[in-house]
Amino acid sequence: MTHSLHRTGDTESLKKDFPMLTHVARGYNDIGAGERLKQMAQIARKYTDLHFGDCKVGNKFMMPPEEIMEKHTVGWQVVFKNKKSLIACMKELKEKNIGISVVVSGLFDEVFECCQKAGITPPLIEFALGVHGNKDKIWPPEILDFVTMCGHGLVSGHLVRKMVEDIKKKKITIKKASIELAKPCLCGIFNPDRAAKLLKKMTRF
Amino acid sequence: MRINRDKCVGCGRCVSYCPVGAIQFFQDEQNPKKKKSKIDEDECVECGVCFRANVCKPQAIYLPEIMWPRVVRRAFSDPMVEHKETGVPGRGTEELKTNEITGRFKRGSWGMAVELGRPGVGARLKELELIAMALAEKGVVFEPQNPVTHLFEDVKTGKLKPEVRNEKVLSAIIEFVVRPEQLEPVLQVLKEMAGKVESVFSVDLITHPEEEEKGPALKIVKKMGFPVYPNGKVNLGLGRVLNK
Repeated sequence: MTHSLHRTGDTESLKKDFPMLTHVARGYNDIGAGERLKQMAQIARKYTDLHFGDCKVGNKFMMPPEEIMEKHTVGWQVVFKNKKSLIACMKELKEKNIGISVVVSGLFDEVFECCQKAGITPPLIEFALGVHGNKDKIWPPEILDFVTMCGHGLVSGHLVRKMVEDIKKKKITIKKASIELAKPCLCGIFNPDRAAKLLKKMTRF
Repeated sequence: MRINRDKCVGCGRCVSYCPVGAIQFFQDEQNPKKKKSKIDEDECVECGVCFRANVCKPQAIYLPEIMWPRVVRRAFSDPMVEHKETGVPGRGTEELKTNEITGRFKRGSWGMAVELGRPGVGARLKELELIAMALAEKGVVFEPQNPVTHLFEDVKTGKLKPEVRNEKVLSAIIEFVVRPEQLEPVLQVLKEMAGKVESVFSVDLITHPEEEEKGPALKIVKKMGFPVYPNGKVNLGLGRVLNK
């Protein structure tokens, strides 16, 4: 639950960050779902190639996407960086009516606008009501923006700091560092394009 | 996770990949001129990130066979592991994702989740128990399909099986449905718990879109001083029943 919820960041950054996930409903549409999930993944991947994964299988930085698509059983994830491609994908998924549930995360105003343009009326939404408890233990905001892009918590704040250091020392490029950070996110909702922009901001001298 | 001391060449490349900082880089007792990586087993949540990172050239990092109750760590921290009770990989359930088919969250009530250890901190399950027991006192009924519910010794009180209390996980989620009259007392409990846990927790609320902004749920949430993020999850309603 909730793994695409709780992304932090400023509004401008979040405006270019839309994770999408599909999920079968056990007992309702899980029989033979693999082929349906594959059809839907092929549609989504026409519109975004930033990241793609299935947390039971792996992500596109671990194996070829075609191999992942042959192994779907429960669902897959991608991430979009703009509304235009998201709307086009939503429209095609609606038209093809394959029948597996789809969830999109992002700024509500932006996602609702995309839904409206795609002719979709969402039946249910989920809000994030903040982080509570011993907040001294959480990463500072500039690191948290990366860490929260993997809802399973697999992207380490230590790795973010290491990548920042390595970029400053010219040991790695911003693009390669953003991909290195995306690799641990098994399901494919970590947004490497957004990460690259954040890294650029953090390493500007 | 473990690191084979004999194979480790002391490059330290694995250290930064650990989400909970459980990999130590220390001076080798047998050869003080060299350093080695070692996993603090008490802090390790068995997420598998260091292993999958594929940064250890001599392949010194390995997945050992782990037994109950330690296996709970992997089940809640490694999304590649599917919970046998729920059939869902990761920590949660289908929740809102498939609600247009399952009808799990009905109008007139709201779905809630409290996720211990998130973001990026990790938590001992005894902290989850602290919150679960306080919520149970307010009449909260825990979601039967959530893997946490299977760890309770007494599902009515939120008391955990004693042997899992000290297990550390990346995160674990308490899921439940609240009736309108329960929301305020539940949020009050969470406010009180915020000062009692050593880790952190994130809170979620599931509602129907017409509830947004002007609905009673968000009014209560704001009155209780909880923030409402401008971003969240939206079910597009594209699923349907296909099994025959």
